[in-house]
Amino acid sequence: MEIFIPKLVVAQYYLRVINLFLTPACEEQRVKYTVELRNVKKRFGKVTALKGVTLKVLEGEVFGLIGPNGAGKTTTLRIIATLVRHDEGYVNVLGYELPKNRKEVRKLISYLPEDASLYHRLTGWENLLYFAMIYAESKENAHRLAEEGARIAGLSSNVLRRRAGEYSKGMARRIAVARTLMARSKLVILDEPTSGLDVFSAVRIREMIRDFAKNMKTTIIISSHNMLEVQYLCDRVALIHEGRIIATDSPSNLVKYTNATNLEEAFIKLVGDYSE
Amino acid sequence: MVTIVSKLYPVMWKELKSMIRDLRTLLVIAVLPLLIMPLMGLSSLYLQQYQQGVVVIIDEDRSWALLGGHNVSSHDLISKVVTALKANNFVVRVATNVQELKGVYFDLKVVVPKGFVVNLTSLTRLAYVKIIRTVGSVKAYDADRIVQNELSSYSKYVSQIKTLYLAGKSGLKVDVESVLSPIKVVVGIVGPGGVAASPAEEFRTYLARIVAFSLIFVTTPSIAYITDSIIGEKERKTFEAVLATPLPRQALLLGKVLSTSLVGLMAGVSDAVGLILFFVLPSLAYGVNVLAYLTADLVAIHIVGVYVSILASLALVLPAMIRAGSYRSSQAVSLAIISIASIIFFICLYVDIPNLQPSIKYPLYVLPYTHVVIMIRDIVLGAPIRALMHLGIALAESVALLALSVKMFSDERIIYLKT
Repeated sequence: MEIFIPKLVVAQYYLRVINLFLTPACEEQRVKYTVELRNVKKRFGKVTALKGVTLKVLEGEVFGLIGPNGAGKTTTLRIIATLVRHDEGYVNVLGYELPKNRKEVRKLISYLPEDASLYHRLTGWENLLYFAMIYAESKENAHRLAEEGARIAGLSSNVLRRRAGEYSKGMARRIAVARTLMARSKLVILDEPTSGLDVFSAVRIREMIRDFAKNMKTTIIISSHNMLEVQYLCDRVALIHEGRIIATDSPSNLVKYTNATNLEEAFIKLVGDYSE
Repeated sequence: MVTIVSKLYPVMWKELKSMIRDLRTLLVIAVLPLLIMPLMGLSSLYLQQYQQGVVVIIDEDRSWALLGGHNVSSHDLISKVVTALKANNFVVRVATNVQELKGVYFDLKVVVPKGFVVNLTSLTRLAYVKIIRTVGSVKAYDADRIVQNELSSYSKYVSQIKTLYLAGKSGLKVDVESVLSPIKVVVGIVGPGGVAASPAEEFRTYLARIVAFSLIFVTTPSIAYITDSIIGEKERKTFEAVLATPLPRQALLLGKVLSTSLVGLMAGVSDAVGLILFFVLPSLAYGVNVLAYLTADLVAIHIVGVYVSILASLALVLPAMIRAGSYRSSQAVSLAIISIASIIFFICLYVDIPNLQPSIKYPLYVLPYTHVVIMIRDIVLGAPIRALMHLGIALAESVALLALSVKMFSDERIIYLKT
């Protein structure tokens, strides 16, 4: 009996996915997707990283992509961030189809890669200013953006004047997240923003992201294998496993439909069934 | 185009700030050649004074003869050789047989065999002197040159006596020089246009070859910097975030190339100055001021040559680096390009590339380095239009390669580059 329950849960999700595709066209048009991936596949030599990823991210939501190491989270985010070309399938970001509209999409997104580092010989402020100069059209705007970044990072001016090479991992990550958020892009992509951080630094980063999401109403996609973080930050979550999305819903619904006590347990139930 | 130019600034701002703040590396690159190369020249010169060569002379003949009233003897010859060698700081030991100096180290051994004077004063036979050099001895060549010089002088002295003796016997009036050296060679120098040139101008062309050769050192620092600027950024995990920004790839690559080339220029000039000092300081020690021949135009064309060589190196290495599958393979490509540049700059010491056969010359013209070398030569030879043409070709080739790099640039390849 225990074996059949997860299968039933998965079947429910299949139905939900089918329903999504069967939604009448008029209803589909009313829903504005910031990101849409349909059956996206990606191979690296003999390894198939994505075996057919399908997901839709709504405008203004904080969307979580969760899964174990090697599930395809980073590849999916890199495809959305225009850095990697998919082999098959359809990718649309902010109304632009990829990969042919990469230049247009880059103007509208900002991306924090996993383990992104700072320029160690530049100060914290200069790290912010460099990215601000890339995004801004004028020097004045660049300084305004960098100041916004400094505000988001919440670090004192004394700290910002120090070279990034002297920063702790937590401080460096705050600057890295701030430089991603300060551009006020229509879509922010954060790949494991708290990975490798201590509890205090991770909490601080989560607060930065949550405050930003609440105030700016920007669409944010976060990947993580920290289920608690995703539960705390995200409106909806997609579970990715072995290059496929196996479920998409709000964290509370995922927990509810899988009869789990938390998202971690829900994920194990779904993945456990898939592993069969 | 406007976006590319406007976005060059942040890239160059970041690159130059990062490079300038790495003061230790910059100092090593800029100051080390200025110290090391002149020191190399001076120390080798200085130490040579303390390295005494040993010459062993065996006078097996120990005889003399009168020829036309003049004394000719093995002792006379050997004393001249000994004086010349001692004047050049050699230790000379003279013996009458090999056994006397058995086991004694020597750089050069001179043996005057039995019957030497008899043969020397004969009108039908040749006199022999045996010279033995010790293998691997630097001083042996110097000693050999001095000994042969003295032997040649003595040979001429004996020839003069013999000529006068024969003239006396035959009753003919002779001029000794007219008999012994009937051809006098008068050497003149002309420039490429056929106009007479001075020895100073000729020396400047040699100096131009050395200046072109000094470019051999300028490619390495800039290639190392650009490798660090691209592959190093990937390793330090700072590249991916930049690649997802709207920064145009042209601005990204050009910004890196231009800022790297500026640091490379500093390193290149320092290397070249070091090399010139390497030649100048020892020559000053001998009382020759080579520096006086380094005119403003030669210095200016050298700086242009340095910068164009750096740009060409970066342009050559960039497409290969972008397509390289790993950090190691990109380093291997960099090394190959440094080697190619070194070959071109080295052959310009001995070869006039424009005078080579077309089948060799034109393949060499594919490389921007060839045009840089010819540009320097043309300026010194007073052909500025031709020099400008070669400068234009070198720049055009570099720009074309840079454009190719932008075309070949692949975010995915850089992100998944193996380190």
